[in-house]
Amino acid sequence: MKPFRRRGDAVVARFVDAEASIVGLLLDQLEQLLTADAEDAGGDPVLDRLLPAGHEDLEVAADYRELTESALREGKADDLALVRATLPPQGGEVRLDADQARAWLRTTNDLRLALGTRLGISAETEPPEIDPSGDGTGEEGSQLTVYYWLTAVQGSLVDALAAGLGGRR
Amino acid sequence: MAGPIAPERTPETTTGEEFQVDRPWVTLVWDDPVNLMNYVTFVLQELFGYDEPTATELMLQVHNEGKAIVSSGPRERMEHDTNRLHAYGLWATFQRDS
Repeated sequence: MKPFRRRGDAVVARFVDAEASIVGLLLDQLEQLLTADAEDAGGDPVLDRLLPAGHEDLEVAADYRELTESALREGKADDLALVRATLPPQGGEVRLDADQARAWLRTTNDLRLALGTRLGISAETEPPEIDPSGDGTGEEGSQLTVYYWLTAVQGSLVDALAAGLGGRR
Repeated sequence: MAGPIAPERTPETTTGEEFQVDRPWVTLVWDDPVNLMNYVTFVLQELFGYDEPTATELMLQVHNEGKAIVSSGPRERMEHDTNRLHAYGLWATFQRDS
């Protein structure tokens, strides 16, 4: 991965084949979760984090959810579709304008929230040791690696966008 | 970090809205272990137009104290702000100012 950098009005990154495949899989999983029937996914901690309660009072929160949740889901689905459309499936350059970059920002954040919630990430969690052989980390270790990889992608995207924020206003 | 929300204290003895018109509503952002510090700062600038030092200060307050008030005003606007923050994956709630 070549992290996001500013190129004129655009931000540009580059992903290798395997990275693009992993992002593709994660997008599929997120899409499934977001389109799942509320009853099937009821109590899923990831969904609770992606579509959180807006108020501590259960009744107020339920009213608020009824007003806002479907639009929130649709917005996330639109962002996800845009990320999918701008990601070359076999890897390569990703070039985004300002609006596309914001969709990437929100979706990579949702992917990190989903993974982070499943993995029980806390303030004390540390990145896994790099294991060049690729063995010995197990499923959780490799998911943690993906989590920190996404963190690097998103972090570079924020920095690239923040660098242009002054000029945009 | 992700603690429960402090209960809103509304004494049962008051009859409601007419005594509370002076108390605005607020939107709170709560700390969570996933959202990046530079991301939270960026989102606060983006959504509320805060300059970078102000957004950074609010982000640090979220990080260090567990929460921060990021906007205040009429309830409808706070609901809208909460929704915009949820779209960016920040953990936000609205409540009457205490």
